[in-house]
Amino acid sequence: MEYIISGLQSALMLIINLDPEVTKVVTTSLKLSLTSTLLAALFGTPLGILFSKIDFKGKFVFNTVLNTLLSLPTVVLGLFVYSIISRRGLLGEWGLLFTMKGIIIGQVLLILPIVMALVRNAIHDIDEKMYKTAISMGATGTQQFRLLLSEARYGIIGALITGFGRVIGEVGISMMLGGNIKGYTRTITTAIAMETNKGRFSFGLALGIILLFIAFLINFIIYFYQIGESR
Amino acid sequence: MKNVILEARKIKKSFDQDQVLNLDIVKVYEAAFNFLLGPNGSGKTTLLNILSMVDTDYQGEVFYRGQLMGKQEGEILEFRRRFSVIWQNPYLFKGTVKANIGLPLKFRKSSPDIIEEKVKKMADKLDISHLLAKRSGELSGGERQKVSIARALITEPEVLFIDEPNTSLDYESSRYFNGLFSELVADGVTVLLITHDLYQIQNLADYITVLNDGKVVNQGTSEQVDF
Repeated sequence: MEYIISGLQSALMLIINLDPEVTKVVTTSLKLSLTSTLLAALFGTPLGILFSKIDFKGKFVFNTVLNTLLSLPTVVLGLFVYSIISRRGLLGEWGLLFTMKGIIIGQVLLILPIVMALVRNAIHDIDEKMYKTAISMGATGTQQFRLLLSEARYGIIGALITGFGRVIGEVGISMMLGGNIKGYTRTITTAIAMETNKGRFSFGLALGIILLFIAFLINFIIYFYQIGESR
Repeated sequence: MKNVILEARKIKKSFDQDQVLNLDIVKVYEAAFNFLLGPNGSGKTTLLNILSMVDTDYQGEVFYRGQLMGKQEGEILEFRRRFSVIWQNPYLFKGTVKANIGLPLKFRKSSPDIIEEKVKKMADKLDISHLLAKRSGELSGGERQKVSIARALITEPEVLFIDEPNTSLDYESSRYFNGLFSELVADGVTVLLITHDLYQIQNLADYITVLNDGKVVNQGTSEQVDF
């Protein structure tokens, strides 16, 4: 017990004193997660809207595949991207392995299905009466689309926050594609795994507390948006 | 006999393989209470959707003051903006009551000052000023219907389509809105109303169209039609 308490005390001191190593790892993680989420939003939001609105042959199969990808293990995806960007892979010449870009590719692929599926659901959940009402009020096609986005805004933002939450906490992709290089591709999760193994328990604990705080913040924001949605 | 403002000819409408409307002719008279009656599933709401141009996917022709209502995007909007619809179960958009009521004017690109002024005036008229700052999710069923009525009237429509408006209103509110709709008709607004309310039919109806199984089974003035 004493071991945990003293570890916790040291961890808190590391956070309060803004330890440079801790700060570097946290900013790297945030940079990676925000960039990945932004890129996934850029592609995933329009695709989610599109797949919710259009009907095509095989949509059921597509939706099933999309839903399956929601629970894709990060190490499996890491392995898949590794095989493409490693030296012998299709994009080996681009030198993406063990870089920030490499991690971002993996993370975008990880959360793209999440963003697409949740945006699809948010659009799909909108009552048919919404369209009928907007039409009867004399809305143009563009105005109807804006209204659709506005009505689904809490769901769309919720999808992006969920995506962010998934990438900030993942370890498989960051480890396999980033290589856990100190000061460069070392993220909160890869640092926790390695430093704890090395016996730096308080350092791992400090990062764990920060990660928990971020998770709490994400859930708090999601809760806020869910309240907004019900009104 | 009043002037015909809307006339539907040879209207056919199907959902999948199921034909729900097959009408020869239906007339809506100007500045009058036009009632659309019939049992559930007789095609009343489908016809209302077609006449109000909410649904343009049908066979046949609809004329507005003798002019064919085209189905091209620009034409549709031109006619649609002369009408308003009050739905049985109104949909209110997320946000405040004030924003909801002003939305049709925003679609017509009215200035924020004009929207503000008209919304306030309409809310005063319908005695819902106390609801303006509330969010739509906080309203009761009756309040939602009142807000949807305010939203429909704010554009001063030439034709007002109403689909069973009284289902979520209490007795007092129903009577109040019957009076309000009568005032609108007296001011020259055309009202087409779907209802099962005998009081409304007996006291308000000028013209009645009775549908059954997607066909017109009776049509004429309230004196001529046996409902």
